[in-house]
Amino acid sequence: MPHSVTFLPAGRSVDVPSGTTLLEAARLARVALASPCNGAGMCGKCRVKLDGAEDAVFACSTDVAADLRVTVPPALGETSLKVLEHGIGISVPLEPSVAGDYGVVVDIGTTTLVASLVDLRSGAERASAASFNPQAHHAQDVLSRITLAARPQGLALLYGTVTNAIGALLDELAQATGVAREEVREIVYSGNTAMLHLATGTDPASLGKHPYTPKLATPARLIAREHRIRIAADGLIYLPPVTSGFVGADITSGMLAARLGEIKGVSLFIDIGTNGEMVLAVDGDLTATSTAAGPAFEGMNVSCGMRAGDGAIEAVEIGDGDEAVLGVIGGVAPRGICGSGLLDAVGAFVARGIVAGSGRFRDGRRTFELAADVAVTQRDIRQVQLAKGAVRSGLDLLLAHAGISYEAVDRVLIAGSFGFHLRPESLFRLGLLPRAFDGRITFLGNTSKTGGQALLLNASCRARMAELVRRVKVLDLATFPQFQRVFIESLQFAERIPAYV
Amino acid sequence: MSDRKTELLTNLSDAVVEMDADKAVDNARAAVAESVDAYEAIDQGLAHGMERAGRLFEEEEYFIPELLLCSDAMYGGLEILRPHVRIDENEKSGKVIIGVIEGDTHDIGKNLVKIMLETSGFDVVDLGRDVPPAHFVERAREVEADIIAVSTLMTTTMEGMAEVIAVLRRENLRGRFKVIVGGGPISAAFARKIGADGYSPNAASAARLAKTLLREPQEVG
Repeated sequence: MPHSVTFLPAGRSVDVPSGTTLLEAARLARVALASPCNGAGMCGKCRVKLDGAEDAVFACSTDVAADLRVTVPPALGETSLKVLEHGIGISVPLEPSVAGDYGVVVDIGTTTLVASLVDLRSGAERASAASFNPQAHHAQDVLSRITLAARPQGLALLYGTVTNAIGALLDELAQATGVAREEVREIVYSGNTAMLHLATGTDPASLGKHPYTPKLATPARLIAREHRIRIAADGLIYLPPVTSGFVGADITSGMLAARLGEIKGVSLFIDIGTNGEMVLAVDGDLTATSTAAGPAFEGMNVSCGMRAGDGAIEAVEIGDGDEAVLGVIGGVAPRGICGSGLLDAVGAFVARGIVAGSGRFRDGRRTFELAADVAVTQRDIRQVQLAKGAVRSGLDLLLAHAGISYEAVDRVLIAGSFGFHLRPESLFRLGLLPRAFDGRITFLGNTSKTGGQALLLNASCRARMAELVRRVKVLDLATFPQFQRVFIESLQFAERIPAYV
Repeated sequence: MSDRKTELLTNLSDAVVEMDADKAVDNARAAVAESVDAYEAIDQGLAHGMERAGRLFEEEEYFIPELLLCSDAMYGGLEILRPHVRIDENEKSGKVIIGVIEGDTHDIGKNLVKIMLETSGFDVVDLGRDVPPAHFVERAREVEADIIAVSTLMTTTMEGMAEVIAVLRRENLRGRFKVIVGGGPISAAFARKIGADGYSPNAASAARLAKTLLREPQEVG
């Protein structure tokens, strides 16, 4: 029997069968209800109040069994976010694969979108625009999005959401430059493998299960208007080649921007994030892997964690009297701590002996207060250990597999927005990277965008990258017999971890 | 209880908490030499220590490496004591089938739970990772398990846990096994939703959960 559910204050109603969850009902009624964990009952963001009830319930875990009136609390809203739009670029000869004046690169990140309008005649960037990836509203992390999109309505929702957001960025670029959307002949979609599936309406279910095989064939060129992207009538979308389910087009762009295919010696390219991808290049021979670092780097699953927006503590140093010296985004009072601030804080705790190598507060305390309402707890430190352990064990196994010592690594190239805000000293203090890398680290910035620009401007780059990606060897760390031992040893905060080679 | 016996049991418990395998082995040898009942030495010494270690882990005092070092000490002492346990006392708390659900290959969490179950006296059959739902049920029948424990790290494979329960229902076996679930994305709400018998947020409480479930009177399913 259908029941009527009315959502307040919007006043929108929908009829749903018994057993439908309130979250599903809200989606059907087109009522915005945050559900970053996609209904797993974990995040508590979908709290709503039922008429006549005292306590709030989770909409995702509440089934409709009667006619209901439901009050949705006002969204807290993300007021701002620091988005890294620039990055190290490479200059390529101007041989675009389309005739025309303009092209666009969209870096489709899990958290943010960055679009760049490029003049195909000069190679110059005319404007750049950024926004949140609004898919996060429905499902925060990549795996939750894959789960949501495993059902047709979920896929349609996420596909439509990101397509609309890309459209809004195209409008913004048009307004900023006076270049009409119709003058854009081609768009390069640079993003991780899952984001490319969702942005093209492709079922990503296979990415969520071992062996994580992509369904989408890449490289590919699609007709833009068939994907509801309004540019020139015959406009195209180019999808760069992806290496694997977890090493995507953003990393292909990064490999191109960092010239990993050509550069001599030993280079280690790392994108530190929720899914930490890394590529080892030895005289043009490439090996890639990805590590499940989890959400701590984005300030998620952390007691006072938040994204890198206004009020986020982004830098921390601890003084001689254990007093905290803070850098806060937006010059306002601290509201929480973002990933870079958390790594700084824990790194400083370790350096000052406040936290032992095991990760435990030495003096038996349970929290360290950084500001009036912001503290780092013992549990937060455990989260940092898990994230750090994932990246470091991936790095150690990747190097061990190639028989390369830390000292033999000529350059460490850190890509991505998160990495850009990290201090090498904090990375060494935590043992996230070995101190042997000191002096060899370069922060590349948003290479997903800059590499994407090279793909836009030069057709032969595309052929070269397709060939290079085919040759990349991919390691599945979870299947390495020594993975567990290496991971567990990497949980320690130690500058020098025993070698495994 | 003699003072000496109390001292040995305390030492065994402390050795585990202090992650001191040598101390565990030395005191286990002394217990054997001095004719302390081996079952008591395990139950009130080593397992007692592991229970304390588990609590420290839940309180975030100990982390994964410490918990594993504690279990190393525990196994060190166990190896000495086990041959001396009288057959009639060597009864296990129960039998558990454990594995990582199909589609997922992350098994560190599952391995921790296995250690905690073993050190609490459970007989554990490990199916490994990427295990199809029907295989859990098939093996549970074969080995006559009491509990089926299912783990995953990924939200994308969570539904496989519901499938384990669905298979049990289809085969009219739901009442025969307790099903417990855990792993990164799993919550108590999810466990309730799929009709599991229990959820545990970490390895230490998983062992306690398993014990509690087996103490409860069997329901008719």
